[in-house]
Order: sequence, then C-alpha cells, then structure tokens
Amino acid sequence: MKITDLLSKETIILELEAKTKIEVLDELIDKLYSAGNIKDKEEFKKAIWRREELSTTGVGDGVAVPHAMSATVAKPSLAFGYSKEGIDFDSMDGQPAHIFFMIAGAESANNEHLDTVSKLSIILLNEEFREKVTKVKSKEELLSLIDEEDKKNSLEEENIEIEEKKSDKLILAVTACPTGIAHTYMAADSLRNKAKEIGVKVKVETNGSTGVKNRLTNEEIEAAEAIIVAADRQVEMERFEGKKVIIVPVSQAIKDPEGLLNSGLNGEGQIYQHKGGNKVASSAKHERTGFYKHLMSGVSNMLPFVVGGGILIAISFMFGIKAFDPKDPSFNSFAKLLMDIGGGSAFTLMVPVLAGFIGLSIADKPGFAPAMVGGFIAANNGAGFLGGLIAGFLGGYVVVFLKKLFSRLPESLEGIKPVLLYPLFGIFITGAIMLFLIVDPVKSMNLALQHWLSGMGATNRIILGIILGGMMAVDMGGPINKAAFTFGIAMIDAGNYAPHAAIMAGGMVPPLGIAIATTIFKNKFTRNERDAGKTCYVMGASFITEGAIPFAAADPARVIPSIIVGSAIAGGLTMLFNIGLPAPHGGLFVIPIVKGNPWFYILAILIGSLVTAFMLGALKKPVRE
Amino acid sequence: MEKTVVIKNEKGIHIRPAGEFVKTAGRFKSQVQIDFKGKKVNGKSVMILMSLGLKEGNEITIITDGEDAEEALKALVELVESGFGE
Repeated sequence: MKITDLLSKETIILELEAKTKIEVLDELIDKLYSAGNIKDKEEFKKAIWRREELSTTGVGDGVAVPHAMSATVAKPSLAFGYSKEGIDFDSMDGQPAHIFFMIAGAESANNEHLDTVSKLSIILLNEEFREKVTKVKSKEELLSLIDEEDKKNSLEEENIEIEEKKSDKLILAVTACPTGIAHTYMAADSLRNKAKEIGVKVKVETNGSTGVKNRLTNEEIEAAEAIIVAADRQVEMERFEGKKVIIVPVSQAIKDPEGLLNSGLNGEGQIYQHKGGNKVASSAKHERTGFYKHLMSGVSNMLPFVVGGGILIAISFMFGIKAFDPKDPSFNSFAKLLMDIGGGSAFTLMVPVLAGFIGLSIADKPGFAPAMVGGFIAANNGAGFLGGLIAGFLGGYVVVFLKKLFSRLPESLEGIKPVLLYPLFGIFITGAIMLFLIVDPVKSMNLALQHWLSGMGATNRIILGIILGGMMAVDMGGPINKAAFTFGIAMIDAGNYAPHAAIMAGGMVPPLGIAIATTIFKNKFTRNERDAGKTCYVMGASFITEGAIPFAAADPARVIPSIIVGSAIAGGLTMLFNIGLPAPHGGLFVIPIVKGNPWFYILAILIGSLVTAFMLGALKKPVRE
Repeated sequence: MEKTVVIKNEKGIHIRPAGEFVKTAGRFKSQVQIDFKGKKVNGKSVMILMSLGLKEGNEITIITDGEDAEEALKALVELVESGFGE
C-alpha cells in the first residue's frame, strides 16, 4: 500500500498552529476527525496518549510519528503536520520536532499501522527528503513528493529481494485451459511474474489452442524440485513419472501463484505414478472432477472444427440458404465449395472428434479409437452431439474396463494390448452398444428437444435467452459459460440457431460493457483499467468473454452483477427479436450472416452493454489518483 | 566485535523496541552497526532501525567498535534476546 493511499489533502496541515506537544496532537486529531476518519475524538486521543506514555514517538532528527489503533478509527489513515519553529516533543535526541505524521490504525489490524510507521521511517530517513518537505508550497506538492520517494524505495526493496534469490531450486509448470485462448496464458504470466518477484527459478509450458509452447525438456523435468500442473483438461503426464506434481485448476494459478510456488519449494505434492490412464497422483480436493476435465478435453479439441467449419457454412448461407444446391435457382459454386468444406467435411468431423478426445482423456491412447468410432456412429445415426458425448464417455470407460480385465494376462502379451486387444474389443463393444442401445433413444431425444425448442412460446424463448445470456457472464470462460456455449453448439448441430445467438450476445456484453464503462466513467477507473478497457472493445467484438476477467477479479461484487444483468438482457432481447446464429463463433464478423435482422442483433448487444456500463458506473466509486 | 542474533519480538522492531535499542546503544562510546541481509546501517538512529522493517525471525549481526565494544555488544545482545521486554 502506498503512503499516499492513506494520506489525503483533507488531513494535511502545511503550517501547524500548535506550540506544544499537547496542542500538536490535538490539532492533528481534530484534522482526522473533521475528515471523517475517526469517529470519537476523545477515545482516539486517549489511545494516542497511552502510546506516548509507553515511550515517546519523537524519534529524533526532527520527526515525530504519534500513532494508535482504536475501534473509533473508521478509516485507516495518516495526518501530516509541519511546524517551522519546532515543538518540544520529548524526542529521543532531545531536539524539537518539525515534521509530524499521525497514524490512525483500525482495531485488530494486526498492527498494520506499524508497517506504515516503518514505511514512513524509510522515506523520512533521507535528509534531503526532509529538507524538501519543509519547502513544499502546496498539499499536492507534498503528496507527489511523498509518492515519488515511496516509489523509489519500493523498487529498491524489490531489487534487494530478487538478488537475494529465495532458492536455487527449479520449479516447472504446465498450464492448460479448455479453450486455450486466455486462461492458459494468464496462468502462465501469473506464475512467471510472481516467481520473478519472490526470486524463484521457474519455467512454464503453455498448452494453448495454437499448440504447446516452451515445452519442458527431459533435463528440466529431471532437475526440477516439483511440477505444477494447472490444467482444466488433459496434459501429457507420462513424462512426470516419479516426480512430485501439484495438480490444481487453472484458476488457482491465476489467483494464488505464490501459494503454489511455495508449495512446490516446500516439497508438497505427490509423486506421480503413470499407470496408463489412471491418474493416481491427484491432490483430491483440488483437481477438477474427472467428468469436467474429460468433457473439456473433448470440447477444446473439437472447437477448431466447429469454428472453422461453422463460419464457412455461415458464409455459404450468405449467398443464399440453398446456394450450395446445384438444383436451386440461387446456386453459386463458391457457396457449394464452402458448404462442402465447412459442412460436409469440417462440421461432420465435429462429433467424432469430440468423442475421440473425451475417450482419450479418460483412457489415454487406447481410448481414442473406440470413442471416436462411437462418435462417428452417433453422427451417422442422428444421435448428433449428445450421442457423441455419450460415445466419448462410453468408449473411454469401456477401455478402462478392458485394461482392468486384461491386467491379469501374462507379461508377454503386454505388447499386443494396445496394438490388437484394446482396438479390437474396444471398438467392437463401443460400437455395438452405441448401435443397439444408444442411437435410437438419443435420436428421439434430439427430435423431442428440437420440437420443444421450436414450439416454445415466445415468452419461454425470451426466458431461455435471458438464462443463456446470463450464464455466459457468470464465470466468463469457466464451466457455466462453457456449458451454455456447448449447449448452443449442440443446438446449431440440431438445426436450431436461436439459442446460440443469445449465447454469443451474452458473451460479447461483458467486455463491451466494461469497455464502455471505462470510457464514459473515466473517473471511476484507474489508468491501467482504462487502458485495459480499450482492449475490451476488441475482445467484446471478437466474442472473447475472458477480457472481462481481470475486472471481475479485481472487484467482483460490483462487476459480476453488472455483467450478468447486461448479458441476460442481451440474451432475452436476441430471442425477442427472433435472431438466429448459424455460426459458433466470430463476434462482430459473423453478425452479417445471422437469421433475422442483424441491426436488431447489434441493438440487443448494444443495449445489454450499455446496461452493464451504467450499472458499473453507478456502483463504482470515484478513484482518487 | 560482533554477534549474530535473531529477532524474537512478535511485532518485530517497531518504534518502542527501536527506541530501547538506541537508548541502550547511546550509553556507550563505541560505534554500533547493524548488518541485515548484507546491508550495514547505523545502530544509533531510531528511524534507521525502524526503516529496516525487522520482523520476528529475522537475523541481524550487531557490530560494535570502540573502547567499550565488549560491554556494548553484551548489553545489546541481551536486549534483543530478551525480546525487548515485550
């Protein structure tokens, strides 16, 4: 905390009137009282004098730092006073005091106020600084003088700390979030910055949507003290055999990097045993539940197919709904090309890929093929997205079962398990179960769902839109957001485009609303926030909800309700305006291809964003800078 | 003469203990220095001591130099190890 966070113009006295110790303490206490920082003058005065009786706070060199903790302190704060003639404060060096800092600490602040005293001493030490203080002509000058000096010192402190280097131990980390766009890198940055601050050697590998960066080498793994795996989906674990690993959700690396790094240094974490598919080392409380992790592995690998294919399909629709059909008057060969690539190829692979990677997550390599085949069967038999989901888990757990079953076979047969046994039995069993038991019921369920959705009364559709929109803002990229998003994609696959329109609107509002807020209500955001707000315009336009996360993390009580309300409204309006979105992603760029009036869609998003912006503006307090 | 001691005070070295230290050090003619994490500072100035922000568990080396260096060191070490009477 900076000293100028506690000291304000209302509590600065550039020329004290007091001539004695009693008078100066009274004058400072009065100032704190009229600024509203303390509620009861008499109580606080007693506390101040109790401290003086212990030993004088006149520390010499013309400085005095009277201080007290009290329940009557409404706001921890500082008061400043300067006396040209000097006041006899009974100082330790026998000299009069000229510079006074009174510190008002809140009760049970675990002596935080003593840290403030320490900080003050650091800057008051400097004779040059004390000279400058006696020469200030205005309160603003004093504040900026203190700020400058404070900054100089905290930089020095940090440098000393870094030089001292906490430890020579090497900590490694891997970060991986489901979409691989934002959280992966935020977690990596968080760990790297904190490690630099506390002087720990660290290397972070990121598993993002564009692939693996900074891959950990075998030598590094060998030399590492511990490996932090901050992941919400599957990462390569086999290489960590025998090493201490700490497995946590990605968000923990963002919120508490220091805790994780320290745990690594202290040797917490379990030794990892790779038993092909059974992740034995798991700090049970912290690891994401298996179901979510498997699902996210599937979804994150499926996304590129969906996004690429979906947008190509949507562009094809721009030429005309049937433009891809040679028999239709609106036929356009380019449209057909787009549809063949996007719909016929990319989109068709969506469900098998989803299933395959879920299976891979559950049972490692052997699970991949059976699950993927199951997914393909689902796609070809009308079981769609939901069928693929089931196929993924089915394939994965069938293989897990097979592994247990065959574990009793002699060692010599070990080699043919992955090559022959698992594929053969895995694919057969999964495929058979899918065809006999799964596809028909799921197909019926899909049709029923579709009927229900298209038959939904207008009011119910709006409520659905409100709920979906709000879900996107609740955890901005987290499980609830992903659930809504995945639902939207499933609906697109089933031919119902309305839900996803509400979903994308709801996902664009948080960053857009915040961006607007930082632009209109400049005085309620810090410089950094206003800068970050500018990038939020781009994030919002690109449907990257995660842009809102830093703001939400810094001020959840105000930001989260604001974005949820805005997003819900946008979602509801989208349904009201009967907008349908055939593309799974793309933000601004896919608005031209929506079903219904794109201008109304933009209106819905704009209204939602403005609501968020004004709510934030109303809730936030002005920032003093 | 020098000796390394550990700060025992729960609240660390705030004004009162710093004042005590300086008062004690002031009784002697010798120069008194504190070495904390490689930084050597004057041990006879309250503000300097406070600015170190010493907390419980920190290690410091008290260095005394002069004709009464031995007594000075003894008195100061005793003071620190007694937790400054807190």
